[in-house]
Amino acid sequence: MTAITNTHTVQCQGRTITRPEVEDFLYGEADILDHWDYDGWLALFEPGARYEIPTTDYRPGWSPHETGSFVDDDWDLILARVKRLKSRKAHAENPHSRTHRLVSNVRLSEHTEDSFRVSASFVVHRARDGHFDAYVGWYEHVLVPTEDGLRFRLRRSILGHESLAAGARLSFIL
Amino acid sequence: MIVEDWDQLTFRVNREAYRSAEIFTRERGWVWTHTWLYLGHETEIPNPNDFKVRTLGGRPLIFCRDTAGEVHAFLNSCPHRGTVLCRESEGSTRLFQCFYHAWTFRNNGDLAAIPDADAYESTDEFKASMGLRGVPRLEIHEGYVFVAFDPDVPPLLEHLGDAADYMTMIEQQHVGGMTTLPGTQQYSVRGNWKLAVENAMDGYHFAPTHNTFVGYLRESGFAVTDDNQYAYNLGNGHGLLVLTGHGGRISMIWEPRFGEDERVRTEQHRAEMAERLGEKRAHYVADESHILFVFPNLLLFDIEGLSIRQLEPVAPDQTDVRAWQLVPRNEDPAARALRMKTVVSFVGPGGLATPDDIEAYEAVQRGIQATADTAVPELDYSDMSRGMADEVKGVQGRSTDEGAMRGFWRHWIEAVGLDDGLAVHGDRPASFLEGRDVR
Ligand code: FES
Ligand SMILES: [Fe+2]
Repeated sequence: MTAITNTHTVQCQGRTITRPEVEDFLYGEADILDHWDYDGWLALFEPGARYEIPTTDYRPGWSPHETGSFVDDDWDLILARVKRLKSRKAHAENPHSRTHRLVSNVRLSEHTEDSFRVSASFVVHRARDGHFDAYVGWYEHVLVPTEDGLRFRLRRSILGHESLAAGARLSFIL
Repeated sequence: MIVEDWDQLTFRVNREAYRSAEIFTRERGWVWTHTWLYLGHETEIPNPNDFKVRTLGGRPLIFCRDTAGEVHAFLNSCPHRGTVLCRESEGSTRLFQCFYHAWTFRNNGDLAAIPDADAYESTDEFKASMGLRGVPRLEIHEGYVFVAFDPDVPPLLEHLGDAADYMTMIEQQHVGGMTTLPGTQQYSVRGNWKLAVENAMDGYHFAPTHNTFVGYLRESGFAVTDDNQYAYNLGNGHGLLVLTGHGGRISMIWEPRFGEDERVRTEQHRAEMAERLGEKRAHYVADESHILFVFPNLLLFDIEGLSIRQLEPVAPDQTDVRAWQLVPRNEDPAARALRMKTVVSFVGPGGLATPDDIEAYEAVQRGIQATADTAVPELDYSDMSRGMADEVKGVQGRSTDEGAMRGFWRHWIEAVGLDDGLAVHGDRPASFLEGRDVR
C-alpha cells in the first residue's frame, strides 16, 4: 500500500470525493449496524463485495487467502451471514447484543480508476449477558462511488487487540 | 463427582467440576503437570532460530528451533531470578538475552554469557547449572509437538494410543504432507475448558445449535443427514467423532458450493490417494470427517478443512483458545483460497457456527449456577446418559450419543486423582472402549 497522499479529497471516476462525504457514509453505517438493520447494511455493498477480519496476529500484507482469519466472506457468505443474523436461530446473537460504535481518524488514500481506499479507527462497545466488552481497531476499506452514493467493495476490520478477550466472539458485524 | 449407573443406564457429572476453584487447582497440579500436553506444530517454527512463546498449564514457555535445527521447549523464565526471558510473541534469534541483568542464552539452552562473570565462582558446573530449563519431556508425532512437565510420563505414542493413527491419517492426506499457516485465531471463552471438549464430542447439538449453518449448507445444494455418524471412545480420555453426513471437504468430498474446478481437482486427488494409500485407507482418510480430541488440550477438526485447536484453562470459568489452520504444503492457490474461506466460514469465533457453540457453553457456565449449593444436591448434576442403552447391547455409539464424553470423564476423574470420584453401579459392559480398524 502506498503512503496516504491526500487526507481531504480523492479523485475517482471523474468525481471529487471529500472526507466529509466518506465520514457521513461511515457514520451512517455505524448507525445502521447499531440499530440492527441488516438489510440496510447489505444495501451499502456492491454485489460481489467482500468482508474480512484478519486474526489479531495479522501483519500488513497478509492475504486472507493464504492465512487464517476470523472472517473471510465473499459475497455469498456475506448474504449467508446477514440471513443468519436476521434469523431467530442465530443463537450467539439472540437476544441481540447492544453495540455502540465510534468511528474516527478517517483518511482517504490510494485510488484507482473506479475505487479508493479509506482507513479509519473504530471503537465498538458491546453489551451482552451482563458483560460490557470493547473492540478497538481500524478499518481498511475499499469504496466505490456509485449513482446512489458510496458502496463497499471491501469491508475490512483489523483488531488492535493481542487476542480476542473473553466473551468477545465476533458473532456480530465488527 | 461422577455417578455411572448401569442398572438405571445413567451417567451424571457433578457440576462442581466446572465451577470449583479447588478442582481447577487440582487440574493444574495433576492433569496439566503430569500428562502430555500439546504445545504446537513443528511447522510453526520451520527454520533454524525460529521461536514462538506460548503458555501451557499457566507456565510461560519458549517453543523454538535451535541453530542446528533441533526443536526445544524452554521455561520462559530466566534461571538467574526468574524474569520472563523472551517478551516477543514470535520471531527469529540465536540468543535470548534477559533484560534485567543481561544474562544471555543460546537457543539450544546453553548459557552464553554472564556480565561480570568474575564475581561468581566460575566453574563449568556453575555455568552448566545456569542453562535454560527445558521441559522434562518433549516428543513429536507427525509434526505435533507434545511436552510433559513430569519426566515419568509414559512414551508419547503410548499415551496417544488409537488417537495416533488419526493424526497420521491427516499427514497422509496429501503427498507433500501438511503445514500450519500464519494467522492464528486466539480468543478467550467464558466457560470451563471441559465444556469445550464436550461440545466438540457432541453430535447431538449439531442440528439445533447450528440451525442457521445447516440452512446455509442446504441452500448451497448439500444434503445434511445424521446417518452413519459415529462416536468412538479411544481410551486414555481421547475421543473421536466420525461424520459422513454434513459438509464437503476441500480436496476430499466435493459439494456444489465448491465449484467445478474443485470437482476436477477432488477427483484427481482421490485417484492419487487410492494409488498411494490403497483403496481402504484412502476411504477412511478421504470420505469421512473426523473430530479428534486428544486428552487434555488438543482438538483436531478434520472437517471442511483442517483446524488445530488448543485449549488453555485460565480459570474455572475461563479458557483461552488458539487455533491454527493446517493445509497441504503444496496446494493449488485457488484450492487454498477456497479452503481458507470454507474453513473460516464454519470454524472460529467469527464463523457461522462456532459462535453458537461458544454461546452454548458460556450459557452452560452461567446456567449451572442455578443448582450450586442447593438444598437438594441431587439436582446439581449434568446428564450424559445418551446412548448407554446401545452400549449395553454392544451397538456402536452414534455421533449424537454421549459415549465419547463419558470416556473423557472417566479418564479425567482418574487424572485429577480424586479418590472415590467415580461411583459405578451395576455391571459395566466390556466392549464399549473398542476403537476401529482403519489400517
Ligand atoms: S533475572 Fe535474568 S539476568 Fe537477572
Ligand atoms: Fe457445534
